[in-house]
Amino acid sequence: MALLTVDRLTKRFEGALAVDEVGFSVGEGRCAALLGPNGAGKTTTIRMLTGLLAPTAGTIALEGMKPGQDRREWIGYLPQHPAFYGWMSGHEFLVCAARLCGLSKKEAAERSGELLERVGLGAAGKRRIAGYSGGMKQRLGLAQALIHRPKLLILDEPVSALDPIGRREVMTLLGELKSETTVLFSTHVLPDAEELCDDILVMAAGRLAAGGSLAGIRERNRQPVLSLETEGDARSRAWLAAWLKRLPDGFETASATSTGARLVVRDLEAARRTVLRELADENVRVTKLEVGYTTLEDLFLKAVGSA
Amino acid sequence: MSLSLKMKMKMKMSTGMQKWLVLFRKEWLEIVRSYRILWLPIAFAVLGASQPITSFFMPDILASAGNLPEGTVISIPAPTPPEALAGALSQFGAIGLLLVALSSMGAVSGERTSGTSAMILVKPVPFASFITAKWAALVLLASLSLAAGYGAAWYYTETLFGSVSWRDALPAVLLFALWMSFVGTLTLLFSALLRSAAAAAAAALATAAALSLSASSLPFEQSWNPGRLSALAAGRLVASAASPAGGQTAGDVWLTVAVTAIAMLAALFASARAVRRRPADA
Ligand SMILES: Nc1ncnc2c1ncn2[C@@H]1O[C@H](COP(=O)(O)OP(=O)(O)OP(=O)(O)O)[C@@H](O)[C@H]1O
Ligand SMILES: [Mg+2]
Repeated sequence: MALLTVDRLTKRFEGALAVDEVGFSVGEGRCAALLGPNGAGKTTTIRMLTGLLAPTAGTIALEGMKPGQDRREWIGYLPQHPAFYGWMSGHEFLVCAARLCGLSKKEAAERSGELLERVGLGAAGKRRIAGYSGGMKQRLGLAQALIHRPKLLILDEPVSALDPIGRREVMTLLGELKSETTVLFSTHVLPDAEELCDDILVMAAGRLAAGGSLAGIRERNRQPVLSLETEGDARSRAWLAAWLKRLPDGFETASATSTGARLVVRDLEAARRTVLRELADENVRVTKLEVGYTTLEDLFLKAVGSA
Repeated sequence: MSLSLKMKMKMKMSTGMQKWLVLFRKEWLEIVRSYRILWLPIAFAVLGASQPITSFFMPDILASAGNLPEGTVISIPAPTPPEALAGALSQFGAIGLLLVALSSMGAVSGERTSGTSAMILVKPVPFASFITAKWAALVLLASLSLAAGYGAAWYYTETLFGSVSWRDALPAVLLFALWMSFVGTLTLLFSALLRSAAAAAAAALATAAALSLSASSLPFEQSWNPGRLSALAAGRLVASAASPAGGQTAGDVWLTVAVTAIAMLAALFASARAVRRRPADA
């Protein structure tokens, strides 16, 4: 059952279309990643989901809400750049957030202490937030998003501000959280999405370029790939550049560097023959010729590139 | 059934109240921790005390200035005690209002720019509570400051010039407190409407000045005009001292008070609406 259903969501900023008729749904208990390059419209989409930004058009529905119920009751949100009152301590902010979500005094204090420990801020909880580092603010942001046990946890680039160790810790924490609640998080790092998610939504230039379950997308977009590497000498480079321009029918460039390329091919057998003949005729110094299948990275680059 | 509905409504009311109190406490804590709780009342106290003191020493100051021609007789009539107190009110009406506007000009726009309003308003809190909690803290701070300033002015007036009846002094300061709250409310409204804090303070002060000017200089009756409040406050002191029967009739005053209160309510309503429409800056 879909917990969140978004239909033809659109946001127009003074003439520029930031989000263009985006529609998707996130099933209850699933973990979905909103992927896309900088400026794709991830943050804009998320801010509309949380109610911080009014959509130009489109609808957002949470399954099971009573009519007139406030969507914010069910949503926990970590902004891309969480901001706090520097004059509060981390613990005070969490208690304040908890009380604003309707928790009693006792619950609020308990839950705040528990979450500070969980995000690794146990010792810093009593200090003023003004003295926190960026990574500590990110962790506090995560704690405040979890404070009222939201049904839908929305995180905008939860790990991009963290160092490698912090990143690992938060990824582990997210791995635990996804079994407790429904999670939607944005990222521009594909491996993060692959590690955690059941579903991915790829945005590019305001549109939803691809979406669905990770396994399904992998299956559907599984195409044979030839990857080719050369020694990188002048002759081979020149040949590669020229050949990529006059690729035969049934070949498509997935990605290319000056010394090698990944090519999506229609018919693997025919393609292999063509390439081997070409390599022999042109006397290319090949170091690697590999046959495999497209990865999500290829799909991501394609979806993003063609938009 | 109806009992459980009643219980539910009661619970909703009490969590609503809880959220409001949490927001108010947050505002107040900020006022305390940013030391506004100290500097605003102190500034008002200095302002209030300096008025009777300077008018007491004015003849000496002028005499020692020394650039007057030989033989000039300086005769500045000493102000009566109510006049001295009214003088302090006029200081509050200029510099005091400026301080109030400056101290609250970023109430909403500052939170939007820094991103903290987004953190608060993604929680299930009524937008009206967000605004009214800010408003209550602002009015409380302004009132405390006015009390400190007026207290100082009153003390020095009593010691230097003579006593003023509280029957005159109290209604005067209450009317003035209403005027100051009105200007504070305007600042809050403009900080919810405009992006720039400085523009919000300027717009609020300009509106207050325009109302005040039109009340004092336009030739027709304007009982509705909140801008009359500061003159009404001074009139409580001075006019009643000069001619007990003079000044405005009571009905007039109540009309001004009622219109001001309604205008403040409308401003709060508009502010809450502005915050609902744009809870955070993009
Ligand atoms: N307030 C605004 N006014 C005008 N344009 C905006 C505004 N907010 C966002 N945009 C535009 O909308 C587009 C999408 O921005 P958005 O912040 O949603 O991207 P994003 O996918 O979150 O990117 P990033 O990975 O850099 O965070 C951008 O082109 C941006 O310039
Ligand atoms: Mg973003």
